[in-house]
Amino acid sequence: MKKRNELALHLIGEVGHYILEANPKRLVISLHLEDDGFHLKILDDIVRSDKEIEEMNLMLHETQRPELAGYYGSMTGFETLGHARLGMVGWQVKHGEVRHRDGGSQIDIWLGGEQFDPPHFTIPADKA
Amino acid sequence: MVLYRQTWAILLAIAVTGFISQGFAGTLHGLWLLQVHPARLINDYTAIAGTGATLVNAVLVALIGLVLARLSKVRISGPVIAAVYTMLGFGLFGKTPVNSLPIILGVFVASRLARTNFNTYILIALFGTALAPVVSAVAVEVLPIGPASWTMAVAAGVAVGIVLPPTAMVMLRFHQGFNLYNIGLTSGFIGLFVASLVIAAGGSLPATLIWNTDPDIVLILFIPVLSVIFIVAGMAKNPLKGWKDNWEINTLSGRLPSDFMDMVSIHGSLVNMGLLGLGSWGYCMIVQAPLNGPVIGGILTIIGFGAFGKHLRNCWPVMAGILAATLLFGVELTAPGAILAILFGTTLAPIAGEFGLGLGFVAGFLHLVMVSRSGAWHTGMSLYNNGFAGGLTATLLAAFMEWYQAIRDDSPKEST
Repeated sequence: MKKRNELALHLIGEVGHYILEANPKRLVISLHLEDDGFHLKILDDIVRSDKEIEEMNLMLHETQRPELAGYYGSMTGFETLGHARLGMVGWQVKHGEVRHRDGGSQIDIWLGGEQFDPPHFTIPADKA
Repeated sequence: MVLYRQTWAILLAIAVTGFISQGFAGTLHGLWLLQVHPARLINDYTAIAGTGATLVNAVLVALIGLVLARLSKVRISGPVIAAVYTMLGFGLFGKTPVNSLPIILGVFVASRLARTNFNTYILIALFGTALAPVVSAVAVEVLPIGPASWTMAVAAGVAVGIVLPPTAMVMLRFHQGFNLYNIGLTSGFIGLFVASLVIAAGGSLPATLIWNTDPDIVLILFIPVLSVIFIVAGMAKNPLKGWKDNWEINTLSGRLPSDFMDMVSIHGSLVNMGLLGLGSWGYCMIVQAPLNGPVIGGILTIIGFGAFGKHLRNCWPVMAGILAATLLFGVELTAPGAILAILFGTTLAPIAGEFGLGLGFVAGFLHLVMVSRSGAWHTGMSLYNNGFAGGLTATLLAAFMEWYQAIRDDSPKEST
């Protein structure tokens, strides 16, 4: 449980850092917790181009890199220098998705442990 | 899979070269000598056991890394390539299969204790063999040599291996990825405790310097041949793309973790590795540094990190800073400390990549000053002494830059 909460905090920190770099007026973070993972939803009022959304999706769709996530992933949410790196989030999550939303953008991140069971999270069945 | 096979082929070719250069029996005898020899900095294995045995030892150490990565089912990409070539390099002056395996076992035990897969700690395990001299020191330096000393040595290796993962993760946060050899900072830190324990218990760890000043032709030609192989491999499919991708790599900061093979391409990374190898070798030839075990180890580490953070553009400002400090303080350019500092000091390359040439130069300048002192602190227990000194320098500069950027952003704008 402690590990899950710690990871959630780090991911919120990194994604929050990423959004804040775009200087939004509104940022809403919603966290849906399960025993074996969580669903993180982030809403902002930044209107991004299709290309930007695609780039963000690519970063969040990084293949899982356990060797990087388990070691360098510990920097996630701790970086105060330079730009936030969504790619570091991408290695560690089961699924991530970015899309346009009324007057802004929505980021969904799902994370589960070894026993990850998509129906327990709000992940769309076709994306699991 | 291609990279895995290519690395295997290169390692086999190096081992065959080793056997040919020293003969089968001579190589095996030398190989045995190395397993029971002290390993603290600086023990140039080429002067202790001969070129052939040293090359075969280095290949065996590197193969442990490559095979473990494969068995752990991690992608053979920039970080694994960096780790394997670093292990190959330090197999020339400090690492052996015998003193490396207990450290890896310790990291494995740590992964079990943390109830996580070993593949999440694999890079820590491979780079963590920097503490291999701890095993050798306990086995053949601190205690009377025998079964008890070897048992204690393995236990010490496992113990430091267990401590490595949590320490390494905390150390990353100090310098925020601006020191490429993070395990150098970690193992230097742990080495301080080990050395202090040994000395407190009445042990003696005198400074060592075994340095081959007359390397043979195999060692002199080793790096240019390897570098050309990388460049040719990188350009084999599409020469223009190899160079173009290499150009793109040179625009990246290199801050940890920058897997150039993933971020840009394998071909561009191979060209980058080859160019870095030739550049470093060229510098050594110009200043007439002996191309012995530690120097080749330094160049091999640069080559490996050519896939994971280093390129010509972010390395040269740091090297220029180290060169300036070397000249200013009247240190001979070919002195062991100076030549190793200029090669391994490129651990600070991301500082130049992120903050520009000026800060890269300052980082290099400070690095030489620090690295001249830091080896004595841990008595050479950590092979990545430059990673230790570089980590301290990177932490100082990262802290300063964080503060500077904060006050600059907060300062009131002048009205026009």
